[in-house]
Amino acid sequence: MISDKVEMRELITLGGNGVLLRGTYHKAKGKVVNNANDSNKNIGVMFLNALFHPRAANADSAVYWADSFADRGYPSFRFDLPGLGDSYGDIPNDLLRFINDGGYAAITSYKLKELVHSFGLSGAVIFGHCAGATTAIYAASECKECKGLILMDPYFNLPKSLTSKLRPELVHWARRSKVGAVVRATYDRIREAPSALRKGALPANANFAFVSRWKKVVSNGLPILILKSPEPAALGSNRLRSGTFDYLGHIISFAVRSNQITIKTIEDTDHSFANRAGRVAVRQHTETWLGEYFPEANAGTPLLQNQGLQVQERNSVTLGAPAPAYVSTGE
Amino acid sequence: MTVSPQIQRYPDSILAERAGYFPVPGAHLYTVLHEVKNPVARTLLVGPFASERHSSYLPWVRWARYLAAKGIEVLRYDYRGVGESTGLFEHMTLESWIDDVQLLSAWLRKRGEDVPLILHGLELGALLAARTFHNGEADGLILWSAPANANSLLRSTLQRWIGPQQLLKRENERKPASHYFRLLEGGKNVEVEGYEWSAELWRQSFSFGLPAAMMPPSDPTNAYKRPVRIVALGKNATPLVKGGVAGFEESKDFNWLFAPNYHWIASSFSIPVEAS
Repeated sequence: MISDKVEMRELITLGGNGVLLRGTYHKAKGKVVNNANDSNKNIGVMFLNALFHPRAANADSAVYWADSFADRGYPSFRFDLPGLGDSYGDIPNDLLRFINDGGYAAITSYKLKELVHSFGLSGAVIFGHCAGATTAIYAASECKECKGLILMDPYFNLPKSLTSKLRPELVHWARRSKVGAVVRATYDRIREAPSALRKGALPANANFAFVSRWKKVVSNGLPILILKSPEPAALGSNRLRSGTFDYLGHIISFAVRSNQITIKTIEDTDHSFANRAGRVAVRQHTETWLGEYFPEANAGTPLLQNQGLQVQERNSVTLGAPAPAYVSTGE
Repeated sequence: MTVSPQIQRYPDSILAERAGYFPVPGAHLYTVLHEVKNPVARTLLVGPFASERHSSYLPWVRWARYLAAKGIEVLRYDYRGVGESTGLFEHMTLESWIDDVQLLSAWLRKRGEDVPLILHGLELGALLAARTFHNGEADGLILWSAPANANSLLRSTLQRWIGPQQLLKRENERKPASHYFRLLEGGKNVEVEGYEWSAELWRQSFSFGLPAAMMPPSDPTNAYKRPVRIVALGKNATPLVKGGVAGFEESKDFNWLFAPNYHWIASSFSIPVEAS
């Protein structure tokens, strides 16, 4: 009565190296990939957890995106990393610091290779949101099977700048309350301001190890789609926002091709991208990007139309015209 | 590859966790059976409302593993239209979710009638479990953080969602919670935390509460002649309950909560603790 398959989904595990990851496989429309010798191999999409969220992600948005990409011909795989969701393991007390230090990099890289081999893929694009984007960059820097990155609201700084100098109860308040979130963001911007004036110098609270991995990934030529949510209106003035160090500008300076990094800002959503406008815009931008960089998987399904939703683009930075599929030569 | 301290090799018991899809009318429920050989009891875990699923997921899974390690077989699942289950959330009602509890508890009961079946609900799941138990299902009931009714839960969820939304909007675009309540009462759907609440879900929520026999000062165990345990969880139970600091509390030790609840099960059903 209970089955591990339903419609176009299948529950799967990756058990290599003594680490069991549980996940969901969204089969590509018109083609099921399970043969390592298949000459017409597909590019897959591998979703990572965003911080503590189970693999369905905020408001189950990852389920929606994985269904959509599979429908466009890209087999999609959502996994719970060790200790998250349904996968076994303990997570550290400070999960964010663990991730910022690349704690999930080795296992993600290993499991990506296992996935590509097990499902006969030509490679995979890693889809990471927030802390998931951090793990994606670390993993991509050590895995030639990673052929591209889709990153939602990646961050580059360490979150310790405000907390180390305050009483614990204030730290707790700053982390817990909504007003505290604005205070934290404001504080970080003020701290970054002097570095923004010293062109090219990273702020003191930058995650330097992580930025160096970014450099490595970008220098290797990997195509990257970056999706950004809008700044909270409560942060107010452009003067305050302009204090933010331009990490993306810094990263783009290492690109080896003009069209390597595509950046889109999605309005009418928040950091979760989980409302309807956010979901649809992420889907549209990603499907367009996948079609441009990995056209071989296109199942012939027409791209999603706007459906009357107001999805605006701001700071859309696609440098030059898109090129055909990029195939990584690895390291 | 070097495995980091946090990424341990899995014990054999993890292989006894069987994920699957359970068919219900119009959808499939994502289920995970924590299978136990010769179990001393069986428990159906009925989790919290959609938007709380994500934050409570890790301690909820750990509770399932804790019980399984004690010889109690556990089935946990995602509501229809939520998480890994199929179906469209906006089409779901409290009635469809209570049907799911009944179908799953009947299935779990059929795995062997020789041991007690316990329903355990958290937050909205507590209402679903309580009402199913009230209708005669199961031998025991545990409720954690049961709201008085589903409407109070939906209201508090919407009010909590409003705050961050205000930060994203300019002052002239901000709407109070009452605006959204009026839309729902006027028959319109409203999207909250990425889930589209239907006017029908809102309408049903007013009359969807705990059975009277479970409200203080009643003694539900006496009323039902079956063991009932009702626990109000405080802020120290985050992220099982609302609140908390994302990324800092998911690894929290919940033995202070798990152990007494397990001992209550053991004592209520005369399960020898040493045997488990």
